[in-house]
Amino acid sequence: MSEEVNRENQEKEVSRRGFIKATGVAAAVAGLAMSGLAGTVRRAEAAGDAMPKKWDESYDVIVVGTGFAGLAAAIEAKHGGANVLVLEKMRTHGGNSIINGGDFAVAGNRFQKPAGIQDSPELMVKDMMKAGGDLNHPALAKIVAEKSLETMEWCESFVGAKFARLNFHGGHSVKRSVQTENASGSGLVNPLLAKAKSMGVKFAFATKMERLITNKEGRVVGVEVKKGYKFPNEDSGKPAYIKASRAVVLGTGGFSQNVELRQIQDPRLDKRFDSTNHAGATGEALLAACLAGAMDVQMDWIQCGPWTSPDEKGFGYVPQFCERIVGYAPMVDPTTGRRFIKETGNRKVRADAIMQLNHPVLIFGDSVNVARQVLTEILDKGIENGSIRKFDTVEEIARHYNIPVAPLLEEVAKWNSYVEKKKDPDFDCMIFPNATPTVKPPFYAARLWPRVHHTMGGLVINENAQVKGFNLKILKGLYAAGEVTGGVHGAVRLGSVAMADCVVFGRIAGRNAAKEKPWA
Amino acid sequence: MNIRALSNKSAFVLAAALVLAGTTAFAAPKRLATAKPDNCVACHGKEQVLPAGHPKTARMTFANCLECHPKDGPASLSGKLPLSHKHHLSGANCVQCHGKSKKKEPVAAEVCHTCHEPEQLARKTSGIKPQNPHTSKHYGTSLDCNNCHHQHEKSEDFCIQCHSFNFKLP
Repeated sequence: MSEEVNRENQEKEVSRRGFIKATGVAAAVAGLAMSGLAGTVRRAEAAGDAMPKKWDESYDVIVVGTGFAGLAAAIEAKHGGANVLVLEKMRTHGGNSIINGGDFAVAGNRFQKPAGIQDSPELMVKDMMKAGGDLNHPALAKIVAEKSLETMEWCESFVGAKFARLNFHGGHSVKRSVQTENASGSGLVNPLLAKAKSMGVKFAFATKMERLITNKEGRVVGVEVKKGYKFPNEDSGKPAYIKASRAVVLGTGGFSQNVELRQIQDPRLDKRFDSTNHAGATGEALLAACLAGAMDVQMDWIQCGPWTSPDEKGFGYVPQFCERIVGYAPMVDPTTGRRFIKETGNRKVRADAIMQLNHPVLIFGDSVNVARQVLTEILDKGIENGSIRKFDTVEEIARHYNIPVAPLLEEVAKWNSYVEKKKDPDFDCMIFPNATPTVKPPFYAARLWPRVHHTMGGLVINENAQVKGFNLKILKGLYAAGEVTGGVHGAVRLGSVAMADCVVFGRIAGRNAAKEKPWA
Repeated sequence: MNIRALSNKSAFVLAAALVLAGTTAFAAPKRLATAKPDNCVACHGKEQVLPAGHPKTARMTFANCLECHPKDGPASLSGKLPLSHKHHLSGANCVQCHGKSKKKEPVAAEVCHTCHEPEQLARKTSGIKPQNPHTSKHYGTSLDCNNCHHQHEKSEDFCIQCHSFNFKLP
């Protein structure tokens, strides 16, 4: 190495954490050191934007993220003959995918026929576009709906996942969401991980992608990472450069947990709102892609789940209680005792209505409807942690939650008459054929308050999962799938269509990444 | 790092930092891989790490500590004694986990598994309510031990981000 290059590297070493490590000096002193080295840091970073002098490792395809999209991409890329490395910034795999409810929207699945349900990809697209306010990129929505069935079958026959039942999600015209046997996304993530490992895909945990490296032509050629990264400590980890000779695939999820970024996009979403997401859903990879020239779209469409309870943390049990009884049970504003919204409406319709009221609301079902609809395990655990409560009479519910009694009783009587007629003239709520009036004790109730759940917007992709740049050209060497992308769901994502989106586009991204001609 | 290759500005700051390091009270104890587990002074020096009147710990193992500090009693050492100490006092010293290299790197979960087999561990803690800490619907038994059990810092409850299991960590 020449003397000049050597000195440049030394300065880079000194100006970054290398300085602290070399002298073993405590962090307090580093602050002083950093301010004195400001000029040197700027110069070093400018040098770093160019290609690294040496690559530490080299792979054909680098996938970032170990959720549904990343793992599906890794499997397909490996299948396509590529040497694949998967990066995961957390110490554990699965991101949001592994903690989700396991519901996967499939148009025309085998559970629908015995239930007498008619469905089609066209109907699913119609539902997606309606919920999305027509902001969805139609070609992308079509691909997700059309490939949903073959993808579900791939999950079962090739990956080894098991789907056991059919569920309804608000905004869909029909029940079309197949659920994993264990009612968790882990029922698909863990088989995907096992499959990828058995195929020889390499994994690097606690390794954070910091920057996408591009060559002079703007093609993505590799990544700069931090090895030994300890989330959320941004000072942890040692830099390394990994070459991606064919492509990089981003399956890095959304940014619901990045309060600063989400508030820039939607100022309502301040600290009042918790998130259902895992702590790492902070969107740095999305921002890194934009810094490399990728275009973003619809970033201000951020979904709040209307089905979480303020009486438990995270996602909790209440969503799988609430969502199984909408269309079977009334939801009321506790200050008035009246229904206030279409219970089977989509997430935005319901979340906005609750946010407008500015206080939690209540949903309650009777023993017949709850027993039929809600998994025993969910009910028991919700009762155990106090987020679902059991009552002998509707009057007791009113007393406990300070609801005006007479209006509430009146509202329940009205609801029951609508259930008899299978028609809701007040809010046009879908009333299912097997719904029965809310009359038989015990009654089960849960409070609801929205939580930030999904970021619909993200990187612009085409039908091949290729990322588009701000120059309106394909950003060569970069693919993306799942929540990090924008355009599939438009303004509002329908429940259970995320799993479909992630696996369908994850596979497309992986397949196409492997097909790229190596740049070197 | 070649001092001579540093620019003037960097060298000056380096010198200033070293001076400061000398004068700053640096409280963290040494981590001597060769120190015997019962020899607190070897790493902690003059620092009083045991309360006044505590019996001499020479030749004690962790089993001896437990005689006065039973796990579930009021004097329990849970959260009070770093896990690295519990390991060292039980015969698992630094080298056993980190190997012989001079620079000790963070340890992969596979190393923990050589003594703490995940399935067996999950069976051992299956009675804990409301949830077995060593298996879950999300991760099964595959969750990296280090998500909760830190050796050289206070351990933390990983599940508490979404759940209220209130685990008592060793």
